[in-house]
Amino acid sequence: MFNFSARFIKIINLLINSFTKLLIPCLKMTIPLTVLSFFFGLLLAMILALVQVADIKGLKQFARFYVWIFRGTPLMLQLFIIFFGLPSFGINFNGFTSAVVAFSLNLAAYNSEIIRSAIQAVPIGQSEAGYMIGLNYFQIMTRIVLPQAARVAFPPLFSSLIGLTKDTSLASTATVVEMMSVAKRIAAVYYEPFWMYMEAGFIYLMICTILTKLQSFMEKKLEWKQPSDTKIKAETVTEG
Amino acid sequence: MLGVKNIHKSFGSNQVLKGIDFQVDEGEVVAIIGSSGSGKTTLLRCMAFLEQADDGIFTFDDLSKDIRTISKKEIKEIRMKMAFVFQSFNLFRNMTALQNVMEGLTVARKVSKEEAKKRSLEMLEKVGMLDRADYYPDQLSGGQQQRVAIARALATNPEVILFDEPTSALDPELTGEVLEVMIKLAKEGTTMVVVTHEMEFARNVANRVIFMENGIVVEEGPAEQILSDPKQEATRRFLKRILRKEEQD
Repeated sequence: MFNFSARFIKIINLLINSFTKLLIPCLKMTIPLTVLSFFFGLLLAMILALVQVADIKGLKQFARFYVWIFRGTPLMLQLFIIFFGLPSFGINFNGFTSAVVAFSLNLAAYNSEIIRSAIQAVPIGQSEAGYMIGLNYFQIMTRIVLPQAARVAFPPLFSSLIGLTKDTSLASTATVVEMMSVAKRIAAVYYEPFWMYMEAGFIYLMICTILTKLQSFMEKKLEWKQPSDTKIKAETVTEG
Repeated sequence: MLGVKNIHKSFGSNQVLKGIDFQVDEGEVVAIIGSSGSGKTTLLRCMAFLEQADDGIFTFDDLSKDIRTISKKEIKEIRMKMAFVFQSFNLFRNMTALQNVMEGLTVARKVSKEEAKKRSLEMLEKVGMLDRADYYPDQLSGGQQQRVAIARALATNPEVILFDEPTSALDPELTGEVLEVMIKLAKEGTTMVVVTHEMEFARNVANRVIFMENGIVVEEGPAEQILSDPKQEATRRFLKRILRKEEQD
């Protein structure tokens, strides 16, 4: 007969012992992969969105083509092409670099659409008012349109950051020793896949919980209201 | 001072302005009236280059040019001497009332921060919004926003201010505070072109009234004459309709 308490103790020990084994690849790989990919992905997304909004001939069409390609094919396929495919052209990236390149390029396509729509959501009257007080296009973009668009784009961009955190697990397919691949290895050694994947899931969940808290904190910071003045007396007369 | 000659504008196949002459002199208040779709807002927007007119001559002070060939640089120079008040206020939502008023001074005209702030606070005081200087547009009522927008227009000391139905987006009980400010400006001799539905304002404040219909100027003259004793049948019909509506309200 199955010995319950012995198995229970074994699992608890495994979870405790493996926790740091998961946390180390998380800190060394998962988080750097996420941060680097998001940084480059956002930078490229800004460029892709701005050339479309500014309607720069040629570059705008390129941006549309780019978005079409990178949204229209699977992320894993893009990673495979970079990691396994490019070496046949003499381009050799290691696993980590391949993953950062693939995630950045893919993310840029999605984020550029978020940024583009956020810019276009700023009413045209804001720009018109800017022109009428004598501002030029660059000043209107940097001082009026982009700050307003940032607030609109912020929640969906944060969602894409949270999505990316979990998508970095795909890097394990390109030999990157990140959290998912370590969980898989330990699970295979101890024959405890359920508990190991639960534990890895828990760590992913914790990271995303922290990110979610950070998001609501930053959203409050982005509001155009003074905290001291939440209630304003409107000088309107109620209609009777 | 500011004017257009024989101005034409179409949106697709819809001809909105069919050869209009318009002129405002220094210190004058001109009211443009007419039913919606008459082209009055388009005329105002063409004079501010917010719409590109198809044909016509544009004059501003000594400048007189084909409206199609005016360069971006010239447009910018003209806008530096002109201000526009929008129907929907268009205050910059990411800036406080004070920052809104300062922006044209500090960024577009490179006025020092201290000087710009001083002048901006004066302008906010003038429109009765000094106590709301640090509020964001979303925290202000429509009437308050429009008064800040007028302060923003005044701050750069423009030669002429164009008003595009400044009270149309406001609740009826909020139009008074905006009109009061505009009356004050008119008394100080500010040159103003006002597209409006406020007949009382036109009668009491405007030196001259222009009635537009279907993209042409039907009638123009001193405010009292146009509003009390119009010569054209179309003007009479319009006034009758709008006065009846005012009585109903």
